[in-house]
Amino acid sequence: MGRFIARRLVQAIPTIFGIMVITFALTRLSPSDPVTIMLGNNPDITEEDRAELRQKLGLNDPIPVQFARFVGDTARLDFGTSSHKRPAIEVIGERLPNSLQLSVASLLLAIVVSVPLGLIAGVKRGRIADQAIRGVSVLLHAVPLFFLGLLFVLVFGVGLGWFPVGSMNVIGESCLFCWDRVWHMAGPVIIGATGGIAFIPRVLRTEVLEILGQDFVRTARSKGLRERVVLARHVFRNALIPIVTLFGGILTILLGGSVIIEQVFNWPGLGRLLFDAANSKDYPLVQASVLIGSLLLVVSYILRDLAYAWVDPRIKAG
Amino acid sequence: MAAPAVTLRTPAAELARPSIGFWSDALHRIRHDPVTMASLAVLAAMVLLAASADLLAQHVFRFTFTQQDLLRTWEKPTLDDPAYWLGGDNLGRSQVVRVLYGARISLFIGVFGALVSMGMGIALGLTAGYFRGWWDDVVVWLVTTLSNIPILFLLIMIGLYFRLDALSLSILIGMLGWLGIANFARGQTIALRDREYVQAARSVGASAPRIMLRHIFPNIVPLMIVLAMVDIGGIILAESALSYLGFGVQPPQPSWGNMLSGATAFYFKGPHLIVVPGVAITVTVLCLYLVGDGLRDAFDPRLRGSIGVSHGGRNE
Repeated sequence: MGRFIARRLVQAIPTIFGIMVITFALTRLSPSDPVTIMLGNNPDITEEDRAELRQKLGLNDPIPVQFARFVGDTARLDFGTSSHKRPAIEVIGERLPNSLQLSVASLLLAIVVSVPLGLIAGVKRGRIADQAIRGVSVLLHAVPLFFLGLLFVLVFGVGLGWFPVGSMNVIGESCLFCWDRVWHMAGPVIIGATGGIAFIPRVLRTEVLEILGQDFVRTARSKGLRERVVLARHVFRNALIPIVTLFGGILTILLGGSVIIEQVFNWPGLGRLLFDAANSKDYPLVQASVLIGSLLLVVSYILRDLAYAWVDPRIKAG
Repeated sequence: MAAPAVTLRTPAAELARPSIGFWSDALHRIRHDPVTMASLAVLAAMVLLAASADLLAQHVFRFTFTQQDLLRTWEKPTLDDPAYWLGGDNLGRSQVVRVLYGARISLFIGVFGALVSMGMGIALGLTAGYFRGWWDDVVVWLVTTLSNIPILFLLIMIGLYFRLDALSLSILIGMLGWLGIANFARGQTIALRDREYVQAARSVGASAPRIMLRHIFPNIVPLMIVLAMVDIGGIILAESALSYLGFGVQPPQPSWGNMLSGATAFYFKGPHLIVVPGVAITVTVLCLYLVGDGLRDAFDPRLRGSIGVSHGGRNE
């Protein structure tokens, strides 16, 4: 296992390098000049001052030197000062737990709903239940996340008044784990989970069908086990293994969707932060959000691969 | 020697039936698939309406997409005035006209973006799978890197640095959406490159581009047509999400996504302003996905459930 972990970590290096090249290149290629962004068009600042700042920021250095400095800064999590007058990483650190709380809850809900659906669809192949699950899955793929969220707020928030229409807590309250927070989380978590519910059942169904055709299932049946036992002990246990690999994919969806969901439900997380930062042209904060978001994905993919190797030792050899 | 008494049964009887080619077989299946046919009809109607948006706006609705009527803000859908069939928005603009022009933008970006991503995906996937070696490593590295960046985050960042119009937006989304296509094209090419008929072509001196285009590419065309449908749908979704956030198509140009931008203000006064553009996106993308699924089943019934929407993740 130790060697597998080491190999997987080494594999992440070129990916992280690529992510850094892309973010760096975008900043360099952009038509907006960093000095103008920082100083604005203030007429009191002379051309000499601008040139001096330019020199101080290292913008006159060769591109490889600038890139090396960018890599060094990122390694120290120094993304510069956001327009909140605080280090960008500090602002992100405050928001990140809110996003993670939402993502983890959505992930759990998606799995709790999807697992029974997928297993039923596989066992009852071709029946009405299977058809219905397939239909819902295609529909959920086609609905834009923000439209689903807006509808949810419109119907359950504004219309029926069951759930709040936005934000994390009742004004004045602030707690991470309490009933009030759960009530506020319901909407964004349900909408976030649809991303997973759209495709996990289909994957599980395929898996169940494949395992039903295996020799060991025939053996189990022919030695007289009841069908319930065959399904529970032999089919489902094996079919659930790939659930682990889905984590990475679902996290991609959740993180990508976080901008949308946090915008619809006014949830102050990383996605909302990126949205606000982009609207107020807070360049360091935008760059930092993209980098942190990408690094989160890299880490989640690594964790996924390790978890998969742990539940299915054959992977380590490959 | 006398001729054998027993005449061998030749397959002539079977041959008497006209042979059915791959494409006509697929066409036959599609024609007998009501869901796919209905979806195609909806899409055709949508394209037709979008194409005639100018004519309809001028002669039927008598409203341009920027024209305001501040006496009729938040107008509920009504049959009295064609321009307000689907209601009016916060500035009293005709929603039906704006949805028509939005269809134009969405369909254009979807189709053009899909062309870009299909082109890139096929070119990179084919060459990577065929040549292998360092080029394959580069392509795989690109795919891994891009799939580790949340695409919507990246699009917002790019939208902040560069001014985007519909054309550059579709090219951009296309350039970020080729990963799945490249993966499929690469996998298929690797599976085909050592087949006997490819080796035969190589042995008579066919050049690499010729082998890729004439011998490998035709085999993946059906798969790519299916993926193209899913791709157009995914790009329409991505564009609408970006425009909803305000970083895509800019007002006053209406797009289905940016019509929902100020939706929080619509909750109480105009739910129809949320429902109409949202349903338009959903129906369009749903029809594209259903056509994709139908085509997949028509091309190869054995593939049922293996590619397309029912397998892959969201394209956001």
